Amino acid sequence: MKNINWRLASNHLILLIGVLFMSLPVWVAFATSTHTAETILREGLQFWPGSNFIETYREVMFEEAGVMKSVLGITMLKNSLILGIGFAVGKVIISMLAAYAIVYFRFRLATPLFWIIFLTLLLPLEVRIIPSYEIVAGLGLLDTNFGLIVPLIASATGTFYFRQFFKSIPDELLEAARLDGASPWRFFVDMLIPLSKTMIAAILIIMFVVGWNQYLWPLIMTTKEENYTLVIGIKQIYQILSEGGELPQYQKAFALTIMATLPPVLVVLFFQNWFVKGLVESEK
Amino acid sequence: MKRVQFEHSTIPYLFIAPQIAIIAIFFIWPAGQAIHQSFLLEDAFGLSSQFVWFRNYVDTIGDAAWIQAAWFTTIFSALVTFLSLGIALLLAVKANEVIRGASTYKTTLMWAYAIAPPVAGLMGNLMFHPLIGDLYKFFNAIGWEFNHKLDSFDAGFVVVLIAVWKQVSVNFIFFLSGLQGISKAVNEAAMMDCKSPTRRFWTITFPLLAPTTFFLMVINITYAFFETFGIIDTTTGGAPGGSTNTLVYKVFQDGFRGADLGGSSAQSVVLMIIVLALTIIQFRFIERKVHY
Amino acid sequence: MKKLIMKTILAAGIAAIAMPVTAKTELQWWHAMGGRLGEVVDEIATNYNASQSEYEIIPTYKGGYEDTMTAGIAAFRAKQQPHVLQIFDAGAATIINAPGATIPVADLMAEHGKGFNSNDYIEGVRNFYADSAGKMIGMPFNSSTPLLYYNKDAFAAAGVTNPPATWEEFEAIAPKLKAAGYTALAQSHSPWILSENFHSRHNIQLSTGNNGYDSTDVKILYNNDHMKMHWGKMKEWLDAGHYGFFGRAWGDNQDAFVQKKVAMWMGSSGSFGGLKKSTDFEFGTTFLPYWKSIIDEPKSTFIGGAALFAMSGKSDAEYKGVADFFAYMTNNENQVFWHKETGYVPITTAAYEMAKAEGYYNESPDAEIGILQLSQPGGEWTKGYRLGYYVQIREVMYKKYDDIFSGKSSVEKAFSEMESESNALLERFAATYK
Repeated sequence: MKNINWRLASNHLILLIGVLFMSLPVWVAFATSTHTAETILREGLQFWPGSNFIETYREVMFEEAGVMKSVLGITMLKNSLILGIGFAVGKVIISMLAAYAIVYFRFRLATPLFWIIFLTLLLPLEVRIIPSYEIVAGLGLLDTNFGLIVPLIASATGTFYFRQFFKSIPDELLEAARLDGASPWRFFVDMLIPLSKTMIAAILIIMFVVGWNQYLWPLIMTTKEENYTLVIGIKQIYQILSEGGELPQYQKAFALTIMATLPPVLVVLFFQNWFVKGLVESEK
Repeated sequence: MKRVQFEHSTIPYLFIAPQIAIIAIFFIWPAGQAIHQSFLLEDAFGLSSQFVWFRNYVDTIGDAAWIQAAWFTTIFSALVTFLSLGIALLLAVKANEVIRGASTYKTTLMWAYAIAPPVAGLMGNLMFHPLIGDLYKFFNAIGWEFNHKLDSFDAGFVVVLIAVWKQVSVNFIFFLSGLQGISKAVNEAAMMDCKSPTRRFWTITFPLLAPTTFFLMVINITYAFFETFGIIDTTTGGAPGGSTNTLVYKVFQDGFRGADLGGSSAQSVVLMIIVLALTIIQFRFIERKVHY
Repeated sequence: MKKLIMKTILAAGIAAIAMPVTAKTELQWWHAMGGRLGEVVDEIATNYNASQSEYEIIPTYKGGYEDTMTAGIAAFRAKQQPHVLQIFDAGAATIINAPGATIPVADLMAEHGKGFNSNDYIEGVRNFYADSAGKMIGMPFNSSTPLLYYNKDAFAAAGVTNPPATWEEFEAIAPKLKAAGYTALAQSHSPWILSENFHSRHNIQLSTGNNGYDSTDVKILYNNDHMKMHWGKMKEWLDAGHYGFFGRAWGDNQDAFVQKKVAMWMGSSGSFGGLKKSTDFEFGTTFLPYWKSIIDEPKSTFIGGAALFAMSGKSDAEYKGVADFFAYMTNNENQVFWHKETGYVPITTAAYEMAKAEGYYNESPDAEIGILQLSQPGGEWTKGYRLGYYVQIREVMYKKYDDIFSGKSSVEKAFSEMESESNALLERFAATYK
C-alpha cells in the first residue's frame, strides 16, 4: 500500500513540475504585460496581474504607435489570420489532389514525380531562402499574400499525410466504384473526400498553426509594415528594444507575445482531439 | 502490394500538376539558383560576376566562423534532441500512469506546441534580461556568474533551454500516443514477468517505443537545425562572438545582412548536403535497429 | 439643340482645362528610418510634394539598414530598383564599387543644373561617401558622430567637476565614480565608436590603399599597437569595474546609462533627443576622449548613419526629379528642420550657420557638440573608410571584442585573428571586381 502511494505521489510531483515548467513562463509573460513600463523597469518581471491590462492591449492593438510606426496590432492579427488560413487551405487542397494522383493512378511519370515531391521533405525553406527571395522579388510577388503563402506550400508534408491515409482505405471501395462506372473525379468528390473529413480537419488545424507561426519567410519577403504578421511584429519589437532611445516598453512586448500565441493555442486546445489524431496518425 | 488503380493518362497529371508546379518554381528553381550562385563571385548588384569553381566552398569550409557555427550546430542539436526527448518521455510515462487528472496534464503539457519559436525566444530573452529578468537574477543569486551577453556558455545555455522548452510538447504528444498504443495484453504480460516497473520500462516499453523515438529524433534534429532560427534571432543573434550561430543562421547573416551571395549560396549547398547525409544515415543505420 | 451642344462643348472644355494635363512623375524612395525618424521623413516628403507639381516622392520604410540594402539589391537585380536608396556606412563599399549601380550625386546635380560644390559640406561629412578624388557619390542624409554623454548628478556625487577630455583623465576619475557607486563607462558600438572613429580621432590609418578609397585590393590595419593598447585598457577597466559591457545591442548599453548604472556613455550625436525624454537626471554632452599619449591635438571624427544614392537605370526626366528633390533636401531650411527633429547633424556649413543664427544652440547646446567635433581640423585619415564586406568584418570585430571581454582570448591573439579574418573577407571582395 505504502509503495503505491509513494510512486503515485512522485508521479504527480513530476507531472506538476513539468506543467509549471511549461506554463509558468507564459503566465509571467501575461502578468507582466498587464503592468506599466515604469513598474517593470523598477521591479522586474511580475507574477501577479496588474491594472494596466486594458491600457496595454488597447495600445498594442489599436494604436498606430502601439508597436511600430504605421501598423496596428489588429492589422498584424489580420495578416496572421490570412496567412494561417490561406496556408492551411492551400496546403490541404494541393496535397489531397497530389496524393490522390499518386495513390490511385498508374501513370508513367508517377515514380519520378513522387521522388521529386519527397525531396522537398528533406530540404526545408531555410536552405534555399535567398534564391527564393530573389525569385519572388523577380516575379513581383514581394509584399503580396500570394507570394507569402504559395512558396510555403512547396513542401510535401501534406501530400505524405494524405498518401498515408489514402493507402489505408480498402481497395474494395475503388473496385465497387469502378464497377458502378464512376469517373475518377466522381470517386474523389463523392467518396474519398467525405471519408477523409476527419483527416482534413486535423491537417487544417495543424497547418493553420504551422502557417501562423511562420517566421523566416515572412520576415524576408514582407517589406512594408502593413503586411507584417504578428510573429514578425515580435521581431520588430525586439529590434526596437535593442535600439534603445526611449523608455523600453516591455509590457507591450509581452502583450504582443501573448497575442501572437493565443489564437494557435486556442485552436490547438479547442480541437485537441482532431489535432492529436492528425499529428500522430500521419506519422510516416 | 497490389493496388487497384485507375488507368488514365491525363487526369493524374492534372491532379498532381499544382503541387509539381509550385515545387518547380519555388523549390527546384531556387535550389538550382543556389547551386549556380555558389560557383560565382558576384558583386551584390549582379553587375559583374565571375565563375570561380569551388573557391566559395573552400573559403566557407576554411572559415573559422563557419567551423564554429558547424560545431555549435552539432552540439546544440544533440543537446536539444536528447534533453527534450528525455524530458518529454519522462512526462509521457508519468502521464500515462496516473489516472486522475490525466487529461488535464495532457492538455497543459501539450499546448506549447502552438507557440512560434521566435515568440518563445522573445519571452525567454526578456526573462533573462539583465535589467528585468528574474531568471538572470536567479542564476546570479545562486552563485553562477551569469551573463549571457558576455559568456558563450551562458548564451548557449539560454538558447538550448528555450529550444528544449518549446520542443517538449511535440515529443510529449507523440510519446504519450505511442505509450497508449501499446496494447493492454502486452502490458499485462510484462507485469507478470517483471515486478520492477523501471526494469519493465527499459526492457519492454522503451523498445516498443522505438519507431516513435526514431521518428521523433528525425523531427527534433530538423527542428534544432532549422526552426531554432526564430529563437536565435530574438535572443542572442549568434552572440557573443558568433558562439551561438547555427549554420542556417550564418547563411542568413552572410546572404541577407552581408550581401555575400556566393558565400551564402555555398553555405546553403553545404548545409543541404549535410542534411541529406544525416537523413540517409538515420534511415539506413538506425532504422535497421528498430523493430516494428 | 444647338444651345445644348454648345453648353456641352463648353463644359467639356472647362473640364479639360481644369484637369491636370500630365500626372506627377513618381519617384520611389526606399529608406531605413523607422519610428519617429520615419515620421519626419514622411513630413519632408509631403512638404516636397506640396511645394511643386511635377514630381511626387514616395518614401517606403524597408526595415533596418541591412534589410533596406538587401531589398534594394534584390530589386536592382530584378530591374525594379527605386529611384533613391538609403545605404549605410558599412554598405558604402558595396554600392560604390558596383560598376554603374548608381549615378554619383555630384554628376547628377551638375547635369541638371543644380549647383554642387562639395566644399559647401562640413569637413567630417564631405568625404565618407565620396571617391578618392573627393567627388561625392552618395548624398549624406542622416549623419551622426559618436559623442560622450555624462551624468552630471553622478559626477557631483563623486566629486568630479569636468568630464574627461582624454583617456588619461578618464583613468583618473573612474575610481572616484566607482566609489560613488557607478561603473564609469559604457558604450554602444565597439566597431563604430572604438575602432573606426578611434582611428579617425587619433589620425591613424585604418587600411592600406588610402583607407580603401583607392582600390579594393587592400588590407586592414586594425592590428596596430595603439588599438591593442586601448583594448588592453578596455579589458582592464572591465575587470576593475570601470567599464560595463551590456551586450552588443545599442539599446542595452544606453539603458544602462539611463538606469544610472553607468556614469558615462558613448553613443551617437543623435541620441540626446531620446536621452532628454528618458532620463530623470541632468546630463552633459562632450567630445569623444582621446589618448594624449598618441596624439596632442585630436582630429575630427567622421560620420556614421547613411546616405542617399540615386540608382541607375532610370529615365532622364526622372533624374531631373531626383536632382530637384536632392536640392530641396539640402536647402538650409530643410536641413535645419531635419536636424532639429531628429538630432542628426546638418550637412552643409550654411545650414549650420543658419541654425546658429537662429539661436538654436543657445537653447540646446547638446545639439551642437556633434557638429563641432565634425568640424575640428581633419587629418590624413579622418575622411572615413571604404571597405567591402564590411558588415561581415564588423561581425568579426564584435566576435573578437567579445572574446577579449570574456577573457577567452588575449588582446594580441584577438587582433591578430581579426586581421587575418578581415583580410580574407577583403580579398574575396576584391576578387569580385577583378
